Amino acid sequence: MTRLSFWEILKRSKMGPMLEEKDFDLLMFKKTQDLQKEYGIKYDPEKPVDIDGVQADRIYQAGVELFLDLGTYCTTTKRIIQVSAEELKSEIEACPAEINLGQGSDRVKMSHRDVEGNQDVIVIAGIQTAPFSDGEMMFKIYKGCAMGRSVDGIWGGILLKIEGQHDVIAGAPSEIYQYKKTVEILRRAVAAAGRPGMITINNAPTNPATIAMFDENLGLRRSDYMEVTGMSEMKVAYDDLNRTAFALAHGVTIHGTHSSVIGGFSATPEGAAIVSVAGSLQLIVVQKAETFRCGAVESRIKSRATRRNLWVASTAIQGISRNTRLIVDGSMGDHPGAGPGTKQYLYESAAGHVLSTVMGAHSTEGTRKFVVGNVCNFGTPLESDWMGEVCKGAVGMDREAASYLVKYLLAKYEAHLMNPPEGETFEKLFDQETLKPLPYYQNLYGEVKEELRSQGLNFIR
Amino acid sequence: MEYTSLTDKEKALLDSLKDAIAAIDTEIAKVVAHKILDAKIDPRIALKYSFAEAAEIVGAKFDCGELFLPHLVMAGDLMEEVGTILEKDIPPNEIQKKKTIVIATVQGDMHSVGKNIVSTMLRSSGFIIHDMGVDVPSSAIIQKAKEVKAEMIALSSLLTTTMHYQKEVIDDLVSMKLRDQFKVMIGGGPVTRQYAESIGADGYGKDVIEALEEAKRLLL
Repeated sequence: MTRLSFWEILKRSKMGPMLEEKDFDLLMFKKTQDLQKEYGIKYDPEKPVDIDGVQADRIYQAGVELFLDLGTYCTTTKRIIQVSAEELKSEIEACPAEINLGQGSDRVKMSHRDVEGNQDVIVIAGIQTAPFSDGEMMFKIYKGCAMGRSVDGIWGGILLKIEGQHDVIAGAPSEIYQYKKTVEILRRAVAAAGRPGMITINNAPTNPATIAMFDENLGLRRSDYMEVTGMSEMKVAYDDLNRTAFALAHGVTIHGTHSSVIGGFSATPEGAAIVSVAGSLQLIVVQKAETFRCGAVESRIKSRATRRNLWVASTAIQGISRNTRLIVDGSMGDHPGAGPGTKQYLYESAAGHVLSTVMGAHSTEGTRKFVVGNVCNFGTPLESDWMGEVCKGAVGMDREAASYLVKYLLAKYEAHLMNPPEGETFEKLFDQETLKPLPYYQNLYGEVKEELRSQGLNFIR
Repeated sequence: MEYTSLTDKEKALLDSLKDAIAAIDTEIAKVVAHKILDAKIDPRIALKYSFAEAAEIVGAKFDCGELFLPHLVMAGDLMEEVGTILEKDIPPNEIQKKKTIVIATVQGDMHSVGKNIVSTMLRSSGFIIHDMGVDVPSSAIIQKAKEVKAEMIALSSLLTTTMHYQKEVIDDLVSMKLRDQFKVMIGGGPVTRQYAESIGADGYGKDVIEALEEAKRLLL
């Protein structure tokens, strides 16, 4: 089995059927709603977790059918990139079932995980793409995140000022300069944490700045991964494909992300689950990803851990895990509505990461409040510890137990999702000298951990 | 002719049009539009009453999750189609010009979801929308606004490193002595009302509903 060449994909992007973007959007809506009926896919809010996998299998089949029928819309050429059923089958079978990330003693194997499987879950934490106030603070927080025993890698962020005074602006020369300089801090921080070969990831707004971060000595390495993004929903632009082109030439693993939009053109939760699968297939076929994040976002609520989103993402992930040997990333608890230092952050994060792990996914998209804005240092190493502890603690858990726990957690935070607690910055939550959590935050963490342990989450430590 | 001066039968026809638009039933809406013209009802009243009421209903249904983004697109298409039928009987110089908005995600920013939702909602509420997509340079946005004689420029930014371009558009409008010609509304994840005020924006929407209200406040 072989994968379809990237150059063949580009060729099809220039020769496929032409369509206006609006017509593609409406076609996707119609096909998705038809498939939802045809396959008998039904979201029941009382059952946010699909325990027997019946809905998951239907969603997977519907997602395959949607991807084959509709294809991927290239916004650059206004053409549809289509593949045949045989090509898709071959692509899925040729994708690796395991890869290695990181170096030396920090190297980890990231493999296909089964639903309720015992395979190791890889956790890449760190405060994803967030702004930091200064280099020293950035170094301290990164180092703290990298020291987490349950964490296999960390994400970087950005310093918003050069030399403390010049703004960093996407698309301007300052972006390339600053992302390259700040990823050096990330690399020094993981070394200072005693984990020099640890996976480090970062993603700049534009391609030139993202590509500029790759440097075997001082930046992102071939043993890390490069993130490519599919446009919501089921679209791609040459701008996205530039990352693929670089990653293929450079020899770095490609990690894709695509989100369906609940309330968007996939409309219903059922539609969003189907599009989550189809979007994942786009990532491997069109964007040449070897691992990918399968998931969704709400059109109105700023949290990934809503009841609907938990069902959409976890059922789509389960469908892929049950029907393929692909390496799936779930990261469903990566963007809580609540901020750091609150119980709700920990509850939302736990609900997402438990389901993600149990359904057969890894979690590699870091920790971060959904909306960070331009508040600097809006996160601490403790959220990274939490992400790691929850994911690793959920390995081997069955869906029945996960469902019970998720319902318990939803009851704790669901009513507060529209107005979640804002949370606090690193300075308010950690001792600046010892770099340990302040007693209030440590106690809150311990309290929630014991609470979830009593509800069936088997924390390793 | 005013709405209050209509007979009950005539009012019922306007209600039928409102209901058909709200149900996004193009065929019925077109039939009712022709009936309105046949009944010699001033089509301007239909546009003012039925369209506005229907847009409110569609917006409310989207807000509560009963309708989704594609429904807003279809409602916008329907209103354009039915609007064309009704406007045929209005003298060209008496057709009320719809307000025009140029919308874009600023340079360096590829995020489209929020901008698309706002764009679609504004269109389904009766504005003429020129959606320029994502990663659009400030100069291109201003050029487009001039070209289509827009009343408003709406700018989305999802990143702290791209918010600067919202300010750049406003600063460039000032430098080009065009600031008075366009209202500027901004939004996006990291953007706040305080930030909007600090850069001299006229409006701010934290979500689609607020953006719509703000556009109406500034333009209608």
